[in-house]
Amino acid sequence: MPLGFRAASFPKDRIMTRLTSLFAPILMLLALVTALPGAAATLEELMQRLPQGSYDDRAALVMEIAATGDERAVPLLEALGEGDLQELKSDGTLVRVVKEGKTYTAYDPLTGESLGEIGRRDGKKVKVNNGLRRAIRSALGIMTLRHPDPAKRLEAAEAAFKSGDPDQLEALDAALLAESDREVATVLGAARAVAMLNSDATEADQFEAVTTIAAMGNQDALGVLLPLAAGEGPVAEAAADAVADIERSQKVWGLAQNVWYGLSLGSVLMLAAIGLAITFGVMGVINMAHGELIMVGAYTTFVVQEFIRNTMPEMFGWSLLIAAPLAFLTAGAVGVAIERGIVRHLYGRPLETLLATWGVSLILQQTVRSIFGPNNREVGNPDWMSGAFELGQLTITYNRLWILVFSLIVFAGLLALLKRTPMGLQMRAVTQNRAMAADMGIRTGWVDAMTFGLGAGIAGLAGVALSQIDNVSPNLGQSYIVDSFMVVVFGGAGNLWGAFAGAFTLGVANKFLEPVAGAVLAKILVLVFIILFIQKRPRGLFALKGRAVEA
Amino acid sequence: MSLTKLIDRRMGIFLGLLFLVTVCVPLGNLVMSPDSALHVPSFAVALMGKYLCYALLAVALDLVWGYCGILSLGHGAFFALGGYAMGMHLMREIGDRGVYANPDLPDFMVFLNWDRLPWFWHGFDMFWFAAIMALVVPGLLAFVFGWFAFRSRVTGVYLSIITQAMTYALMLAFFRNEMGFGGNNGLTDFKDVLGFDLQSDATRVGLFVCSALALAGGLLLSKWITASKLGKVLVSIRDAESRTRFLGYRVEGYKLFVFVVSAMLAGLAGALYTPQVGIINPGEFSPANSIEIVIWVALGGRGTLVGAALGAIIVALSKTLLTGWIPEIWLFALGAMFILVTLYLPKGVLGFIEASRDRLRPKAKAAPVKEAEA
Amino acid sequence: MSEKTQLYLNGVSRSFDGFKAINNLSLIIERGEMRAVIGPNGAGKTTMMDIITGKTRPDTGEVIWGEDTDLTKVDEAGSARLGIGRKFQKPTVFETHTVEDNLHLSLKADRSVFGTLFHRTTDAERARVDELLDLVRLTAQRDDLAGDLSHGQKQWLEIGMLLAQDPELLLVDEPAAGMTDAETMRTAELLRDIAGKHSVVVVEHDMEFVRALGCKVTVLHQGAVLADGSLDHVSANPEVIETYLGR
Repeated sequence: MPLGFRAASFPKDRIMTRLTSLFAPILMLLALVTALPGAAATLEELMQRLPQGSYDDRAALVMEIAATGDERAVPLLEALGEGDLQELKSDGTLVRVVKEGKTYTAYDPLTGESLGEIGRRDGKKVKVNNGLRRAIRSALGIMTLRHPDPAKRLEAAEAAFKSGDPDQLEALDAALLAESDREVATVLGAARAVAMLNSDATEADQFEAVTTIAAMGNQDALGVLLPLAAGEGPVAEAAADAVADIERSQKVWGLAQNVWYGLSLGSVLMLAAIGLAITFGVMGVINMAHGELIMVGAYTTFVVQEFIRNTMPEMFGWSLLIAAPLAFLTAGAVGVAIERGIVRHLYGRPLETLLATWGVSLILQQTVRSIFGPNNREVGNPDWMSGAFELGQLTITYNRLWILVFSLIVFAGLLALLKRTPMGLQMRAVTQNRAMAADMGIRTGWVDAMTFGLGAGIAGLAGVALSQIDNVSPNLGQSYIVDSFMVVVFGGAGNLWGAFAGAFTLGVANKFLEPVAGAVLAKILVLVFIILFIQKRPRGLFALKGRAVEA
Repeated sequence: MSLTKLIDRRMGIFLGLLFLVTVCVPLGNLVMSPDSALHVPSFAVALMGKYLCYALLAVALDLVWGYCGILSLGHGAFFALGGYAMGMHLMREIGDRGVYANPDLPDFMVFLNWDRLPWFWHGFDMFWFAAIMALVVPGLLAFVFGWFAFRSRVTGVYLSIITQAMTYALMLAFFRNEMGFGGNNGLTDFKDVLGFDLQSDATRVGLFVCSALALAGGLLLSKWITASKLGKVLVSIRDAESRTRFLGYRVEGYKLFVFVVSAMLAGLAGALYTPQVGIINPGEFSPANSIEIVIWVALGGRGTLVGAALGAIIVALSKTLLTGWIPEIWLFALGAMFILVTLYLPKGVLGFIEASRDRLRPKAKAAPVKEAEA
Repeated sequence: MSEKTQLYLNGVSRSFDGFKAINNLSLIIERGEMRAVIGPNGAGKTTMMDIITGKTRPDTGEVIWGEDTDLTKVDEAGSARLGIGRKFQKPTVFETHTVEDNLHLSLKADRSVFGTLFHRTTDAERARVDELLDLVRLTAQRDDLAGDLSHGQKQWLEIGMLLAQDPELLLVDEPAAGMTDAETMRTAELLRDIAGKHSVVVVEHDMEFVRALGCKVTVLHQGAVLADGSLDHVSANPEVIETYLGR
């Protein structure tokens, strides 16, 4: 009746499980009691008794072995469970026999030490049946529940929760008593509650169990409670209530998760768009090569990482911090070159700059393709950029978090630069009245070059960040150019806060639409929304107002 | 309108050359023996037919950009929609000769396990319907889009950017299998059109001649529009939109008219393009394609119609030659073209040729604007 | 409202980002009347014209054309079609059209899309354009591009375009700017001729020119009427002297 050992969520199976396990808990309890400190039997002695007696005797013995807490018992019990344990006919030694090709090798079941080849008929199997296997699994579970490493204990507790086997109840009780780690204790408590529900515990106990599980409030809890809620009676009703509660809270967390995804996307969009907002807003220049400047930043990161890998691998954690200023300078230099070489001849003709910079973007793309090849290049995440952590039910990956932080730093830095420094003052002066600024002795040509270089440099910084979450290929820039323009147009050119608000609004909107409409359709909807929005506010969210603009 | 006004010197020369090509190419393909030096291979006929479609597309863009100042970065969308309309008809023509031999459904629908034709595919089994749709659908999109955009006075760069967003959104949409246009792969494996085998030389020549006629027709229609008083209003809008309004002209109406006409011409070009290249896919909607159209017009000479057609042929021909020769060099060449034309050839090749021919007129206007900011 | 009223502004206000460009402005222009509007920079002259021509909507107040047409609901093209012609401070002509075409485009005619598409120039129109070319003394330049004209010639061409529209009300913003003294006087003369048949509102800085017009003067200050009457009368007003003329 192997079905009986599967997941405990089917009532019919549950009944089977109960039947087979009627007396197991008693035995286990006995075993545990006898095995508590003071019991003198060593692991070796207990082991030698394994071949004797009935299956039930063996099950009790297994529990006793587990209770010794001796780690060497783990391979022993595993060998027993797999039916590899044999008693040598010659001297009654217990060995683990493994078939390797056509020969049989004996191993010490406790140490794993090889004892040499034996004949096929030299040993006699220590027999196991399903009941015994279950006892072994429980015993193994208990052993890991008592493991000195909390991570192992947590794993075991989670496994116990998943199996929901009522036989583990006592073991869990004992483990819970001994547990000092709070996180492990929580999971143990939940596992105990599930086991309780699957046992024929009193209604009061079951109520308590439902409460314990409900308190977890996550998908796992839902998995346990949902089948329960489908039943009848007061416990089922309590479970149904708990399910409703959990689903409500999950909705809230789902919302929060979407907001997080949206903010994360928004930070990427902002990084990509903010340099564009500067060149477009301050200079009225449409820089179609902006995406390729992002790509230049990403490839700079790649080159820096390659260099570090080859010369001083121990510095890899610093690679991004080293790459950032270099990417800024490289992309900035390319930007200044574009401005001096092309854009400055085209001021006042925005559509022409659009075409010329598109030409630049094609050339940059092909240059990178010729140097680095058409395929994706591997840019690694340093340790501090990889992995994730949980906040409530939110999963937050470190790379997304750092990119958000980075984008905010870049934004704040840019604001400070524009508001607090002489260069920023000159830039704003040139934006507002070019002729007057020139009259006042500001070298407008120099300011233009620096402004363009700044916008390009920020694209380079964006490239460093994007190299962590996107493929670094010659097409990298193309995939961001439309999005960045949307942000700038939506937010309103000439205003950093516009780009900020635009990026995060579009990011969050996109992520909220995605679950409903799917990723592609969500993007289409956002584009259509922007097209319609521009009709209402042709100059974006944060447009400069007044007569001066209309001229 | 007098014929001389309609067919001026430029137009006359271009139409003459076009006529010559339209006569010689079919003769060279169908009459000359394959060994003859004058033989035109079939692939070349299809290639030239493709160039003529591009030329018509360029004329369509020049009509809005050159004469009305609307820099559309989404004209590829109208072209592609026209292409899809024709592609849908060609798919229906395949009938039960597809891989799955399903008489009612195109292969890709069978592959997607669809049990019946989506509603918007109905009618495309008739050629005349598809032909009308190839004009109506792009025209309708242009009308709706333009009605919103022009009424709220979205102009200049902002308009360019939202036209780009439009074609980008359409590209994403057409990539989806659920849209019912073959998704990623688009529409292909066409067999014949109006009963003529698409692989046969005669059909190819026929399509080539149709393209030439369409180009000539498109040029003459555009010329007629731009030479009329309406054409003058368009130029007025391009140069001084606000002044035009104060004269009592409803600018949005004019823009809408010319935008819709242009979109329909682009759709016609697309409809002729699909049978000649044998495939239409969502890549045609890509923003990069649409920007490339702009450089055809800029290179040939903005606001000259004939120049736009010339520019398209020059760029497409160089693309064929260069990608066949050294593929890597093509993007460098195209990029350089964008930069050099905007910096040094503001009036395009045609403007350059005519300016150097007319020594009488002062050259100042065609000179590069280099010293502007010095 | 009397039959004679051409344009009636009552309590009109409009602000930009908190700055009140027009503040409770009231003004009546009668049919055939010529009026000079003067005032320092930022007094709201241009915004007033923008409101009359439908370029800018007032926040509050009524703007009535003739008997009962509400101008606040009309756009620029609509106001032009009602018969309001506007000349800008900076001459704006269609630079890539010939002088003749500039006038043809301005002639009173069907302004609809298809009306212009199928338009055929009539003999009457040709005659009218010849007449106008003569009036603004540009007959010799009729085939030149408007962009090649001198500044003063562009001013004249724009006046010609205004006349070609045959408007009931002409709004003229600093017509004398960039003209020689002789040209200025000729312009004043021309405007005097026009008045009577058309209503004319002239915004001007040049006091000589205003004097030459010899009409009623309205002084704007901070978006409202400070004084009106004859030039001598307003010149004597101490408030006007303080805010404008006295400097």
